[in-house]
Amino acid sequence: MPSEVLVVGLSWRTAPVSIREKLAFHDDELCASLQTLLSNTILEEAVILSTCNRVEVYACTSKSAPASGVSQAAALVRSFLAKSRGFKAEKLSEYLYEHVEMDAVSHLFQVASAVDSMVVGESQILGQLKSAFGTASREGAIGSVLGRCMERSFGVAKRVRTETGISRGAANVSSVAVELAKRVFGDLAGKSVLVIGAGKMSALAARHLRADGAARICVTNRSLDRAERLAAEIDGIARPWENLELEIANADVVISSTGAREPVLTKKLMKRAMKLRRYKPCFVMDIAVPRDVEASVGKLEGVYLFDVDDLEKLVSENLKERKSEATAATHLINAEVALFETWRKQQHVVPTIRALREHFHQVARTEVERAVQQMAKQGTESERENAMRKLATGIANKLLHTPMNALKNTDHTEELSQATHQLFSLSESGSEADDGTTKNAALSKVSGHKVHKE
Amino acid sequence: MAFYVAIFGYVLATVFYLGAMNSAREWMRKAAWMTLVAAFVAHGVDIGWRGVEKVHPGTSVRESLGFLSWIVVGAYLYLSRRDTLVVLGAFIAPLSLIILAAARLSPSGEAMTGLSSLGRIHIASATVGLAIFSLATAVSVVYLLQERNLKKKKFDGLIFKSSAALETLDTLSARLVSIGFPIFTFSMMLGGVWVAQLQQGWNRIEYPISAITWVAFGVLIAGRRLRGLQGRRAALVTIVGFFSALVVLAIYLLRRTMVE
Repeated sequence: MPSEVLVVGLSWRTAPVSIREKLAFHDDELCASLQTLLSNTILEEAVILSTCNRVEVYACTSKSAPASGVSQAAALVRSFLAKSRGFKAEKLSEYLYEHVEMDAVSHLFQVASAVDSMVVGESQILGQLKSAFGTASREGAIGSVLGRCMERSFGVAKRVRTETGISRGAANVSSVAVELAKRVFGDLAGKSVLVIGAGKMSALAARHLRADGAARICVTNRSLDRAERLAAEIDGIARPWENLELEIANADVVISSTGAREPVLTKKLMKRAMKLRRYKPCFVMDIAVPRDVEASVGKLEGVYLFDVDDLEKLVSENLKERKSEATAATHLINAEVALFETWRKQQHVVPTIRALREHFHQVARTEVERAVQQMAKQGTESERENAMRKLATGIANKLLHTPMNALKNTDHTEELSQATHQLFSLSESGSEADDGTTKNAALSKVSGHKVHKE
Repeated sequence: MAFYVAIFGYVLATVFYLGAMNSAREWMRKAAWMTLVAAFVAHGVDIGWRGVEKVHPGTSVRESLGFLSWIVVGAYLYLSRRDTLVVLGAFIAPLSLIILAAARLSPSGEAMTGLSSLGRIHIASATVGLAIFSLATAVSVVYLLQERNLKKKKFDGLIFKSSAALETLDTLSARLVSIGFPIFTFSMMLGGVWVAQLQQGWNRIEYPISAITWVAFGVLIAGRRLRGLQGRRAALVTIVGFFSALVVLAIYLLRRTMVE
């Protein structure tokens, strides 16, 4: 029985967070869990993927497994998941899904490509999958089938990412801010940033901007202490609150997130700052609630003001776009699954081919050994020639013996003889006499060539 | 023949550019660029062919218009080697199509008689200058549309998704104007000498209007250098300058038609 791929697990689609968090595997539990799984002879390979949005066990049954191996294996994984987390098997079953063979492969490709993710097109899942694969490899839980499957899924994910727009447009508020700033400046390299207020959100946004090449980050806050702390954290410079106007005039990007009840950045202040900076464009991001920047600031020439709602709006717009690209991704995945299926089918006959070749060579070797021994005793040319002929006949007979018996004694005469015809490209018996001569000529040509070579 | 290939190429390039605006597919972008290159080559062959038949770009307004759109496309192709200016392409390709078709269909086709070489150089250089200005204008239009999107927080439009950044567009427009201006100035000077030579007086309506064009672009360049003029206002001045030039062109075309 050839080995089969399966996946059993749950995700954000099927299970609430309360179940997911309970089932999640910690990194240092993974090794032991993999060993437990593989201690069953029915399973040969396994990968445990555990993230906050999904817990899945990918596995491959062993070749020695019985015909019903894959359903047994699925049941085994189910009970393993339930037991390891103290769930009642029936209760957990409500949330679990399972896929077998090509459905499992398709599922894996979709997971890797983030088509199945909560945030379609997100990039973390591929890293998580790679790390799960790495852990399993180190534990020796990866063989030829699941290994190939996983590696292919990484390739598919890369294709989906580059050939469709599934990862286009930022999908969270802080990176969407960077995307918007790029719509104004194109490149953030060399731009200076001013962070007003020392909140967590502004630190996050500042880090994103820094990663995209922002040159100088200044932090200003009513208490200089906190400004200094945040500045140290994000590798910026702390500035006193009194210099606000000048600082704004020097900044291309302003991020504001103070806890103030009244607007910090008024139209009057901004107007003066814009004059100071000679109306060079200024990107202002107000992520405070209540807002820090007067809405009328956005009407000033050269000022591009965005508040939290605007950022959210762009996020949802991007997500909509990504979802529509997921259809294109699915087509691509289906094509890849078909390719993989072809490979799998070829894999199924590999053992047969290997055994057949081994058998033929074994017969040839034995016969040659015998012939060599006999030839050592014989001296004359004709005796040697005889021995050669005997050798050839011997090999042919040995090889023919078993299949001939099988053909004679089978209940499926028709199928077997058809298969034999196909396997050896035999012509119909009637026409043999006609082209026998040409065949012989061709044969002697070939053998002559061979002798010459030797 | 080459003319029809060029027309077909511009139509196809327009379709591809519009398609590329609406999707992330890299091949669409490449296809758009390649078709435009093909159309540009065909158009060039057409101009060369007519040149052999003694119909130079400098011989009539009609020919110079076709030549103008050819330069616009060439300049665009040069600019878009690295930057992704898909939206601009979606403007340029149909624009060239319309100019080329209109130029070929307009009645004032015959070469002007008795055109001095001074006149020819004047027409040719004005055409090159205008071609560069029209590209700057297309960039400015995209700038204004994209700025509007950002100010009004309209995030679902095609232009929003595929346009280059505001600053990139602004710099590009400024660079184009500063290249086109000296050429245009040279042409204006030749035009002045020419008019003086003809001794037909200065009281034609197109003279003050073309002066407006020159002043507008002059103010734009000075303003950018000295007063921090940029962004929306700079874009508006560019468009005003270009439209006054268009009016001059239209007057020439109409007058030739009416005279005949």
